[in-house]
Amino acid sequence: MNPIKLALTYLRIGVLNEMQYRVNFFIQLLQSFISVATGLIGLSLVFGQVTTLAGWSRPELLAVMGVHLLMGGVIRSIIQPNMERLMDDVRNGTLDFALTKPADAQTLISVREFRFWQLVDVIVGMVVISIAFFQLKSSLGIFQLLGFLAALLMGGVMLYSVWLMVTSISFWVIRVQDISNLFEGLYAAGRWPIGIYPDWLRTGLTFLVPVAFAVTVPAEALTNRLDGTSLLFAFGMTILFVIFARGLWLLGLSNYSGASS
Amino acid sequence: MTPAISVSKLSKHYKVPEREGGMKAAVASLFNRKYRTVKAVDDISFSIEPGEIVGFLGPNGAGKTTTLKVLSGLLHPTEGMVNVIGYEPTKRSHDYLRQVALVMGNRNQLSWDLPAIDSFELQRAIYSIPASEFKKTRDDFIDLLELKDLVNKPIRNLSLGERMKMEIVGALLHRPKVLFLDEPTIGLDVTMQRRIRAFIKEYNQRWGATVLLTSHYMADVEALCKRVIVIHHGQTLFDGELSRLVTQFSSFKTLGVTLPNPEADLSQYGEVLTRDGARVTLRVAKSKTSQVTANLLSDLQVDDLTVEDTPIDDVIDSVFTSTEEAK
Repeated sequence: MNPIKLALTYLRIGVLNEMQYRVNFFIQLLQSFISVATGLIGLSLVFGQVTTLAGWSRPELLAVMGVHLLMGGVIRSIIQPNMERLMDDVRNGTLDFALTKPADAQTLISVREFRFWQLVDVIVGMVVISIAFFQLKSSLGIFQLLGFLAALLMGGVMLYSVWLMVTSISFWVIRVQDISNLFEGLYAAGRWPIGIYPDWLRTGLTFLVPVAFAVTVPAEALTNRLDGTSLLFAFGMTILFVIFARGLWLLGLSNYSGASS
Repeated sequence: MTPAISVSKLSKHYKVPEREGGMKAAVASLFNRKYRTVKAVDDISFSIEPGEIVGFLGPNGAGKTTTLKVLSGLLHPTEGMVNVIGYEPTKRSHDYLRQVALVMGNRNQLSWDLPAIDSFELQRAIYSIPASEFKKTRDDFIDLLELKDLVNKPIRNLSLGERMKMEIVGALLHRPKVLFLDEPTIGLDVTMQRRIRAFIKEYNQRWGATVLLTSHYMADVEALCKRVIVIHHGQTLFDGELSRLVTQFSSFKTLGVTLPNPEADLSQYGEVLTRDGARVTLRVAKSKTSQVTANLLSDLQVDDLTVEDTPIDDVIDSVFTSTEEAK
């Protein structure tokens, strides 16, 4: 079984299915609009008082907001729905079906769900980033763009790994439904560059829930703040997160016996 | 011939946390948890030939599902050897999983919001079924189970029975050689049960598949299985032909008597089971059946008299109760 082919099949069927529910598109558009509006109000409140925030100018912070929105869209369209389904499957014993398939179980449980309309946030995020760039009056160099995309990809993989680790806990405690809410709260902190937070919170947002890598680092890449060393460090962290997540997942699996007997 | 499934001295023990009710015990168990070992399966051995359909019987909690889960690679045996078509299920090798299927009547694998036809497509991707073979198998199954008009509807709009039929199609699209069916007809009406039974039989004959089936409906077992394995408290009570189960465990016959005088007292002839107007049913020891029948006919005026084997359900029931009492 080719994992990419499998993922694409799920993607295709997910998209086809969601196309039937066009109302979701408008609801999603409205939600994106509201989050952009509240974000802008927040920005104007801050910049009514000061001219820079921890060294970030107004248009630069707009770029951070754009990245936050974009990554949020990725989480809600792919990562979160798959992990929530995994939690349900563990609780209901339906994970048995995934485990009796001739496919790598981790791959399978990571690609099964896809919320197409949540991608609206990704588009809106990109629009916000473009506007920020327009206001910055700077052009985007090719290395900047590549660094940004690499940082974004690594950030996404790290967030996925953390979700998987947390979800794997459901093998032991079964009820981890509230984790989604907790995660959303922490992710909301990523709307601002993590440099503005006190040390302890910054450490947490970097190493425990890598919001820093998912939002701030890509935004740094965009605004020319990132050097090669940081990118390399992010790469190392990504590998570590992936390995830990895989390990915890496998450990959880060996502990799983299916709901009821 | 090498058996398709061979299980030797299989045991599966669970360690479960144990606590008494109440707040105090709940708090105490947070710190000092006591465990109790549950022997879900305790030293079971059997082997099944290729193409056989075997009924796996036992009351709830007897260890049937646990055994099926060990066979399908979901659980590691605590002790013992398991081999299915030359593979060790625990290793969950993709080659093995491609050749087996697990169907659980009380759980669904097809996506609730998708029409079945889309879910089938996903099965095809997972099992890498060649397109032409996939299409043929799918359409065959859809015909056999009369699902043509339903495959394009989202699963949530189907009835329980229709959903189960779809589940079975989805589970068998890759034409597995070995089927583990756990209560495939649970909760379905009689017609639907019969349809699914016929399909299982057809599949078994057409592809020579080996089937291990659990069911609480004896009709399923009688229609499909020549051989049954009865387990209770994780141990094998009986392994052999269904007909032999009846002769071995049923030492009674049921007499049905219709009398013109409904008031007559028949308790001296045998244990009165039911009394419905003029119709009385009696339970009589097998060895005394002919004697009692003769007595009834000579002593009383009888309109009608029937002699029947104990229904299989009652036989199974008596198997379980007799072992309970022996303990």
